[in-house]
Amino acid sequence: MKLFEFQAKDAFRQCGIPVPSGVLVESQEEVSNALQDICPPCVIKAQVLQGGRGKAGLVKLVKTNDEAREYTRFLFEEKGVRRVLVEAAVDFKDELYLAITVDSAKSKAVILACAEGGVDIELLAATAPEKIITQMVDLDQGLSGFHLRNTAFGLGLVGDRAKAFNKILSSLYQAFRKFDAELIEINPLFLTDGEVFLAGDGKLIIDDNSMSRQPGYEVTRDHYEHEVEYQAALAGIPYLQFDGDISLMCAGAGLTTTVFDLINYAGGTVANYLEFGGPNYTRAVDAMELCLKNTRAKVILIVTFGTVARADVIAKGLADAVARFKPSIPIVTCIRGTNEEEAFEIIRSLGLTPLSETEEAVQRAVDIAAGRTS
Amino acid sequence: MSIFIDTTNKVLVQGATGKEGSYWTKHMQDMGTNVVFGVTPGKEGQQVEGIPIYHTIRRGMRDHEADTAMLFVPPAFTKDAIFEALDAGIRKIVTIADGIPLHELLQIRSAALSCGAMVVGGNTSGVISPGKAMMGVLPYWIERVYKPGRIGVMTRSGSLTNEVTAEVVKAGFGVSTLMGVGGDAVPLTRFAEILPLYQADPDTDGVVIIGELGGTMEEEVAEAMESGVFSKPLVAFIGGRTAPKGKRMGHAGAIVTGSKGTVEAKLDALTMAGGLVAKKPSLVGPMLRELMT
Repeated sequence: MKLFEFQAKDAFRQCGIPVPSGVLVESQEEVSNALQDICPPCVIKAQVLQGGRGKAGLVKLVKTNDEAREYTRFLFEEKGVRRVLVEAAVDFKDELYLAITVDSAKSKAVILACAEGGVDIELLAATAPEKIITQMVDLDQGLSGFHLRNTAFGLGLVGDRAKAFNKILSSLYQAFRKFDAELIEINPLFLTDGEVFLAGDGKLIIDDNSMSRQPGYEVTRDHYEHEVEYQAALAGIPYLQFDGDISLMCAGAGLTTTVFDLINYAGGTVANYLEFGGPNYTRAVDAMELCLKNTRAKVILIVTFGTVARADVIAKGLADAVARFKPSIPIVTCIRGTNEEEAFEIIRSLGLTPLSETEEAVQRAVDIAAGRTS
Repeated sequence: MSIFIDTTNKVLVQGATGKEGSYWTKHMQDMGTNVVFGVTPGKEGQQVEGIPIYHTIRRGMRDHEADTAMLFVPPAFTKDAIFEALDAGIRKIVTIADGIPLHELLQIRSAALSCGAMVVGGNTSGVISPGKAMMGVLPYWIERVYKPGRIGVMTRSGSLTNEVTAEVVKAGFGVSTLMGVGGDAVPLTRFAEILPLYQADPDTDGVVIIGELGGTMEEEVAEAMESGVFSKPLVAFIGGRTAPKGKRMGHAGAIVTGSKGTVEAKLDALTMAGGLVAKKPSLVGPMLRELMT
């Protein structure tokens, strides 16, 4: 789960990483109060989850109260932003990049640092990888002095500046562990005129499998591009919305992704990717309800080949869903796996044809969507 | 022969008394797996499918020999259970847990590597040598998928495995051992680490890998082929060719970030190394025939 900047900075603060003073406002009425605490010049930052906010015009340095109010009004009213961070402007003489993420092949945490802050690290990794300092850390060994020295000296930091940097890196590692981070990033890390390091921006992605032990964070509508994606997330069913017209209701992530490919190969387009495998295989009713919310869909394509996700259970769920929603669009099924013979019987009783070849089912759905058959 | 698991493994089952654990332990036995004892703290003295249950692995090992562990343990307790197995000297472990915390995956893999153990999973259906033995939740009774034979299969997925392996069987082949490495961002055992076992197995003639977008496991397979570690015929199917960048397609590991993990990169690497990459599952069988004749 990706956190908002203000949440990431709260986490930084808890672990001793200094951040510029700031006030979070959730409506235009709160802006004047915030400006009493944080006097211009200050930076107004839309709290949205997309990257590249500067380029998108969602961050602005303002010099007066009027300019601040005008810009927050623009963000709230014209951009539909829900929260805005009003933050003190920082006079800095240098900016760096610092992050910790996971190297899955080596099975260690990895520190990434760069003497040039504000960079697009993925672009830099592709174009000038020698500028990035990487340092692996074994989680059971923990962060050690040599990790700090390799990073700080690698950045060309010495003396008090290196000491101050090491404090930041130690705190960042502490936050990485405490918040079960997939990625924790300070970009840019400001070095102020007063020789203090300050986190200019904050990015923190918490591992989804660790959310149960990271209370206090809830998914919000901002985490999703589409309303149905948000509703599906609340229901605990993986769902992605696209612009096409074939609604996928499949079990198993790998199989659903493959069906997605096969539809594209066959000249069809996907309305939504819905995956109800794993513990969700008994929830065909919920799955179909979500699929039917997608008004672009011209056909629902159900493909499963399950083990624990038994075919007969899925077919029964489908029968319940059909009885409940009486969908007006056609359904193509390719439900196989454990107890598939019983599943085929149930599907026939619904007046549907139980297909058992994925590519045949995909072609059928593509033909229906194109109006070539029904 | 086969790799990792056959009838000679002495398998202990952690979490054998749970609903899923007892159901699949019976299936593992029915298929021929030699299950020697089960472990559930607090339930010593009970029996599951005729298998004695102990509080701990240590207590079980006083009465029985075991060299392999199967875990039906929830994700939050998986690290502890695997460390217990490693501590008891077990060096082959399979966990099907879906949702092991990321940092714990790193710690488990690190511990396994440091003692030369192979931990397979999580978020997998398990491991099977058809006709011999099975660890996990695999429907060995579906004959058009789990037919004994001479092709090794490695996979990151569950249901897609049934889909692709059915095509292998349709083309006239069967499976020596199927290894499900799982769909997590940090698989505890990686494709390239399994390849030497297939290479050394006289009864595996070729390997099919079922990969997907994201990560670098398929690229590592290509490296192993380039360096000569693996020289048998190899066919890959990789899902997610048309997936949009930045979207997480189901599995935690199935996401493309930056230039890493694209299907094109995997395809190029594997093709350069002499493998064949199938665009559709139905092409895997014919490609395998092409390489094997």
